Amino acid sequence: MLLFENKQRKLLNILKLTGSPFKKFVSTGEIKEDLGVTQSRQELLYKIIDIMEKNDNIILPIIGKVGTGKTHLYWALKHGFHNYNIVYLSLENVYKRFYYNTYSEFVENMGVGPLRNITNNLCNKWGATERKFGFFHFADIKKIRDSAYKEWNSYFEDKEALNDAINAITAHCLDPYKKVEAERWLLGDLMDFRDLSRLNLNYDLRKKNNAFTMLKILTENAKINSILFIDDFEKVISIAGPIKEAEEEEEVFDPSWLYGAKTSPDKITAEKTLDKILELYKIKGLRIIITLKSLEFFNEIKSKIKEKNGSLLSIVKEPIFLSNFLIDDIFQFYKKSIEYFFGGINYLDYSIDFPNSSDYYPLNKKTLEYIYNTTKGNPREIIKLLIKIFNEIISSNENIEDILKKYQ
Amino acid sequence: MTNPTDIILYDRLMKRKVNGEFTGSIISKCKDKIIFSNNIRISDDEGISIIQGLLVGFEKDVNKVIAVSKKSDFLWKNLEEDILEYSVLIPEDTMEQYDKGQFSDDFPYTLNLLHTAGLLLNAPDNRINHLDFFKGEILKNPVCSVLKGILVADRVVIDDKGDPYFYDCLIIGRDEHEDLKVSYDTIVNLDEKNVDYIIILGIEELKI
Repeated sequence: MLLFENKQRKLLNILKLTGSPFKKFVSTGEIKEDLGVTQSRQELLYKIIDIMEKNDNIILPIIGKVGTGKTHLYWALKHGFHNYNIVYLSLENVYKRFYYNTYSEFVENMGVGPLRNITNNLCNKWGATERKFGFFHFADIKKIRDSAYKEWNSYFEDKEALNDAINAITAHCLDPYKKVEAERWLLGDLMDFRDLSRLNLNYDLRKKNNAFTMLKILTENAKINSILFIDDFEKVISIAGPIKEAEEEEEVFDPSWLYGAKTSPDKITAEKTLDKILELYKIKGLRIIITLKSLEFFNEIKSKIKEKNGSLLSIVKEPIFLSNFLIDDIFQFYKKSIEYFFGGINYLDYSIDFPNSSDYYPLNKKTLEYIYNTTKGNPREIIKLLIKIFNEIISSNENIEDILKKYQ
Repeated sequence: MTNPTDIILYDRLMKRKVNGEFTGSIISKCKDKIIFSNNIRISDDEGISIIQGLLVGFEKDVNKVIAVSKKSDFLWKNLEEDILEYSVLIPEDTMEQYDKGQFSDDFPYTLNLLHTAGLLLNAPDNRINHLDFFKGEILKNPVCSVLKGILVADRVVIDDKGDPYFYDCLIIGRDEHEDLKVSYDTIVNLDEKNVDYIIILGIEELKI
């Protein structure tokens, strides 16, 4: 029978076996983050949700310095915003073939089920459920396509892309022999000419107008609203930044040979990307959140938007600022992270062994205050320092009190 | 089973007639033929009329019988002498059930016949039986006349014994008191001996 257990020793032993609870100090759109936001940011989250609910088409800038948790905010929004399809876009990854990459992310995020619902509902709306002689569902695909085209003709600019979209949607829903290929097309798969001609299509979704048209169709006909979360939006400016001098680095290929001396291909791409992002306002109900590192970038982007189309400034909302942690946030963040970590490794007794919310073992309040002061409350810097301290605790044979003395 | 008073628009046997203009999914039985329509008008003065209904049944063609489905207008002026047996309006909730079954993706390789054809006819002097030929196949849009009833299904499968299994079925028939009833069933298996005929509707005829 166990009469006495040194719970602190036990926790240290567990940590030495499992490693540090703090490993990752950069959030990405690909790796899911389960930890919510801290108390001081909860209000900010509600504010964003409120703005999203009250506006149909907006660009909402969120400004925060490096490491303040802008990308982490995406995950917090995703967890808190169940009735929205929130799509993460890292501009660096999608600025080439913007619409195609955006569409691919959008569909992947949405899933096949809602995609099938949308195509079914559209075909039903176009007359697929019409009962011939009161009973027989005879899906006259040609008639349904004509009806769809008639309905959307004036609403879509690129008629060829519209034709492809209608053909794919109707084939997906009403033609059992072409359903699989049509679904591949709708999911953004690359297709060869044979597949395309079997579906009576001209292009796959690599063609920008096809991807844009489909993005518009899915967004406007989905049961839930969509938000594009475009991270590091200032890349639009940095990509289009000043051209490097020839002396700066040795170039194997000088783009000016092809594109002229004044404009680099990257700059052209960046300019086009901004144009394409601004075109998204034509998609009814598509909300856009952009993250920026500073107010200067925001002002620069605003002036670029003004240059291109001044009327679009009305959809750009006042920015929301993401500041560093408050002192209480670090305690809450630390405790939550530790609880989450031990929950994840099935050490469920942690909350029984350390029930007090102010028990920060193996660290203590002073250490956490030291971390906060040293990092000035920057979340990324806080995590980096926590990683360092925990690594020291785990790998060193020194007494824990002696280690912590260095951080007080 | 649905409440019969709501749906029976005309029943010669039970002497029931509801005057008015009705739209929806209407099945009428006229002797050994079945009429599908989305409209019917019933009045004391002008009798019963259907515009652009689909008549399904067997007809004599020289010295053989063939299955037919024909689009036509119908008028029964003198109901005492005419041959219209009943007209039933299928309730919308039943039709919704039927619709859901129709759009199932589970049977993508169903055979659609281009032209209406007789699958089975149990007439004393004219017998048709193609059940063996279609063993193991799934046929779309079967219409079946059975005893005093009608069965309309989304598809029929002929099992290895040669018996037809109907899927997603609307059934119209008389109960022991001769009252007309409408019901929906996902699967119905019939012994071919009880079947008057099974006709497979051709999609070309439905297109018209």
